[in-house]
Amino acid sequence: MNALTSIRQLWSSMPASPLRAADKLAPASTSIPTAELRELNASNPAASAIGTQPADASFSSVLGQMVQDVNAKQNIATQSLQDLQSGQNVSLHQTMIAMEEANVSFQLMVEVRNHLLDSYQEIMRMQV
Amino acid sequence: MINLIPSLPRTTAALDAERTRLEVIAQNIANSNTTRGIDGRPYQRQQVVFETALQQAQAKDCNSATSPQPQVSRIQKDSRPGPTIYQPGHPDADANGMVQLPNVNIYEEMADMIVASRTYDANVAVFKNGRAMAMQALSIGKH
Repeated sequence: MNALTSIRQLWSSMPASPLRAADKLAPASTSIPTAELRELNASNPAASAIGTQPADASFSSVLGQMVQDVNAKQNIATQSLQDLQSGQNVSLHQTMIAMEEANVSFQLMVEVRNHLLDSYQEIMRMQV
Repeated sequence: MINLIPSLPRTTAALDAERTRLEVIAQNIANSNTTRGIDGRPYQRQQVVFETALQQAQAKDCNSATSPQPQVSRIQKDSRPGPTIYQPGHPDADANGMVQLPNVNIYEEMADMIVASRTYDANVAVFKNGRAMAMQALSIGKH
């Protein structure tokens, strides 16, 4: 959970200066993950709040929503593990599935972050 | 919430159902010699009945509103008569010295247990493949 909170702080602090600049400089590169996210959520009625957002929704808010989703999955996994250990009516496979789901969504978030940093580094290397 | 691993609700439901089946089989085997139950009669073999259910309550999950999921609809008693043996000294023997045994056939239960175990394995394999596909998809972005 500490890693997640620190990453969220990173998100909230990052868009303030460099990513806003990146947004203006290279809208094409930043629009790719947004479209990808929208496509991922297109078949999901619950997350249609993201899918039906107008095009001018800020990229940082989409990312923030994603981090919250990942955090929620981690919370579900932790809760499931606690229920299992305290003898609630939770089966082993449910806990393992919840943990794997949290793992995969965390990996997705890390990938998006890597691409974001890559594009940021690319822009910083750009000759003006 | 985003759904990254395919077929997750169905696989979870199937695993739950197979787990219930294994519990019922364990109960049958454990009671295979019980000649007096709560109602004073020999233990009767229980069997699970599966049905598909549309999980309307979880309709917010991806695709689950339209996909049938397995679940245990009921656990019913097997009405076949059990074997009767002649054992006059037994506390539950009737006036003729005959004892009614439970209708649990241990070989049948072992075969059922193999089926339950293999089906569980198959569903775990489905989940593992779904996870592997998700990780493969994530590896597209890696350099």
